[in-house]
Amino acid sequence: MIASIPSAVLLGVDGRPVSVEVHVSNGLPSLTMVGLPDAAVRESRDRVRAALVSSGLAWPRRRITVNLAPSGMRKAGAGLDLPVAVGVLVASGVLDPAAVDGLAFVGELGLDGSVRGVPGTLVLADALLDRRLVVAEASLDEARLAGGPCVSAPTLSEVVARCTGRRPWSDPTPHVPAPAVRTAAPDPTDSGDLADVLGQPIARRALEAAAAGGHHLLLVGPPGAGKTLLATRLAGLLPDLDTPTARDVTRILSAAGELRPGAGLVTRPPFRAPHHGVSAVALIGGGSAAMRPGEIGLAHGGILFLDELGEFPAAVVDALRQPLEDGVVRVSRARGSITYPARFLLVAAMNPCPCGDAGMPGGCRCSPAARARYSRRLSGPLLDRFDLAVRVDRPEATDLVGCRPGEATAPVAARVLEARRCARRRGVAVNADLPAGTLDDLAPLDTGAQDLLGRHLRSGRLSARGLHRVRRLARTLADLDGSGPVLTVPHVAEAAFLRGDRAFLLGEEVR
Amino acid sequence: MSGVHDRERACAAALVGLPGMTPVRLSRLLDGLGPTVAWSAVRAGTHPGDPSRRFAESARATEPGEVARRYADAGVSVLLPGDRRYPAALVGDAGAPAVLCAMGDPSVLEARPAVALVGTRSATPYGAKVASGLGRELASAGVVVVSGLARGIDAAAHAGALAAGPDAAPPVAVVGTGLDVVYPKENRALWQRVAASGAVLSEAALGTVARPRVFPARNRIIAALSDVVVVVESHRDGGSLYTAEAAARRSIPVGAVPGSVFSHASAGTNDLLADGCTPVRDVDDVLAAVALARQGRGMSGPLPVACLRAGSRTNGARPAPADRVQRSVWEAVDDTPTSVETTLLRTGLSLAALMAVGEELVDQGLLTAGAGWWSRT
Repeated sequence: MIASIPSAVLLGVDGRPVSVEVHVSNGLPSLTMVGLPDAAVRESRDRVRAALVSSGLAWPRRRITVNLAPSGMRKAGAGLDLPVAVGVLVASGVLDPAAVDGLAFVGELGLDGSVRGVPGTLVLADALLDRRLVVAEASLDEARLAGGPCVSAPTLSEVVARCTGRRPWSDPTPHVPAPAVRTAAPDPTDSGDLADVLGQPIARRALEAAAAGGHHLLLVGPPGAGKTLLATRLAGLLPDLDTPTARDVTRILSAAGELRPGAGLVTRPPFRAPHHGVSAVALIGGGSAAMRPGEIGLAHGGILFLDELGEFPAAVVDALRQPLEDGVVRVSRARGSITYPARFLLVAAMNPCPCGDAGMPGGCRCSPAARARYSRRLSGPLLDRFDLAVRVDRPEATDLVGCRPGEATAPVAARVLEARRCARRRGVAVNADLPAGTLDDLAPLDTGAQDLLGRHLRSGRLSARGLHRVRRLARTLADLDGSGPVLTVPHVAEAAFLRGDRAFLLGEEVR
Repeated sequence: MSGVHDRERACAAALVGLPGMTPVRLSRLLDGLGPTVAWSAVRAGTHPGDPSRRFAESARATEPGEVARRYADAGVSVLLPGDRRYPAALVGDAGAPAVLCAMGDPSVLEARPAVALVGTRSATPYGAKVASGLGRELASAGVVVVSGLARGIDAAAHAGALAAGPDAAPPVAVVGTGLDVVYPKENRALWQRVAASGAVLSEAALGTVARPRVFPARNRIIAALSDVVVVVESHRDGGSLYTAEAAARRSIPVGAVPGSVFSHASAGTNDLLADGCTPVRDVDDVLAAVALARQGRGMSGPLPVACLRAGSRTNGARPAPADRVQRSVWEAVDDTPTSVETTLLRTGLSLAALMAVGEELVDQGLLTAGAGWWSRT
């Protein structure tokens, strides 16, 4: 007899519907699985057999063939255990085909017959919206975020009992709206309050501008200056995610298996800080057969923080350039290609030179050759993407005494929100996205500011490409201060300073 | 030329250029033997200073006449200790180079006092200003400025000496690389001007590239050539401290320019002062040390005291700006580089306002702007 059970598998951040076809016929007892299963799927036959026997159900002593259609696509993950088990039960006559009509199944089986949740339940549920989805109890909240009807069962025998109507589906509240729980992303790196940062007025201003204008930020300074502390405080300055972005973020986290159980829709921007040993695949995505999203996908809508930028392999860092430009990642592998959103705020921290003390004249003890070697690790095109490049120094004790305590996160976040509203009135999410052609209208310069930029251009401190970036940044700074539509000297001078110059980034000293 | 045959010069040049040659090995090969004899012995593999015959093979592949032609083509003369133009200060020195290559005219060192101005390659604006000021005034006073043509202090000292004009004493440079290898490259013009007016010396063969160990070795020559060594700015482990050490071993007085105790670039020089070196505040301090040094060695010859000037300590102070905000910013900036962040904390202005005022002050020439810092001019 034959059975066909609907289910789905993960590919990138999308669910692909899969039909699990089970055929039971006379012959030597065996179970063959075809349709490009990967290791976890192939192992499911042992789990399924044990789960059936533990649940007191008969394992047919006949020849069983399982086909996963469409058979040309690779299948990954353990979520096909439950549909295979149900398919075997239907094909061997234990379950009436009518009992599973209109149902789809996603779940992993334990040897004792328990049904377990699988990563990506939200995304899989999205692919099976036209059916009533049966998942593990632990995955029910996540599956409901998709908005389709879904139910759960704790064990395989309960699944059978509830399908046949001997017991009711115990959670008969299908299709409640997604619980809009306000929760942080699962990796909160407990962002802490900006009030913890003492002094550092320039870095604080840069942080505020980065949050308000979506300007990528590079923090350069000696070890122990507080670069990491500052970067982690940035997450708290970003406003809550809007609903479409929150859905995307939740889907990506789900597909990566990083959504906390019961987390609900993720409304706080994520903060991802991969270690500098990260591989290009882990950063960009596409590693396993499921083409798991990489760190930059997981940072979508939030912050990607690269600590010790100089230690990242050049190939890994350069892989960021296309996503930074397009806001999406396209990963192509032999087994297929996926696209997922990756619009993130890039924050990087690095030492100016191997000894870490370059920048101030006479401070660095490195040889010029060592410094040149260090700076060669950063590609110019990537450095160009940073609108903000500020130096973070260990604060001098004498200058700290008597300085006002740092402003807390809340008032700064309020200014950031207000500045983002200004940007939205211009038709963009953040000022960093302003098209170059609109700058003359949206960020006009007064004559003093024009003179200033002209001087910077002539002296070589500013490149033509940098000019637009300085204007966008000056726009953000003016928005934060609530100034009028015309950009004046102070904000333009400040923007030119906060953008930094190459000599400064690379720790060159006397010019 | 007096006493030294062209063939000897050619053989000496060929010896210097053998692969693997170092100053120490070279003096062992030339110890008690003339270059011609030493060359034949090395070539034959019978030289007692080369028992392992490491140079024999490469020597057999070298033709001294051809080497001499290369040196002549490059405009480089080869000086041996018997030469009239070989610097007298080096004769009898324990670490004197057995062969010295020269561009320009090394006899400018004759009958003139010499002062070495040395210091860090990563100089602060303060150090560069002191070095070029001392270089200029010493040259005007008829003192040969000796330095190493490196980045930073060395370059500033040479540039200062050249700026003193054609009537002043010409500068002399001692470099670590071959005389056809300009290092660092950005000093090419300076290098040529020093060679044109004074001399550039090296104990390395043509084609020798910059390697870390050649610089401490050349520092001993700088020290040996000078009556006084002045360290303008040095880190605590800076290479110019080798020069000071080499000078101290030769009983040559060492002076040091005091610097801010917060400046890494002055840590080494301030240490020298704490160890009892002569403080150098201006050119008068240096000239006095030169006079004392030459007196002590019975060389009290014609020191051009007439050229002594009133100290420059009070020169160059610029009036503070009149505008109140400008003045507060100007006062918050030190003479040494002050980070924008420090200035911000001291003035309490917003960053935007501070940057606007800073631009004005730089425009007026009252502040020097660097990458993330300002200092008063």
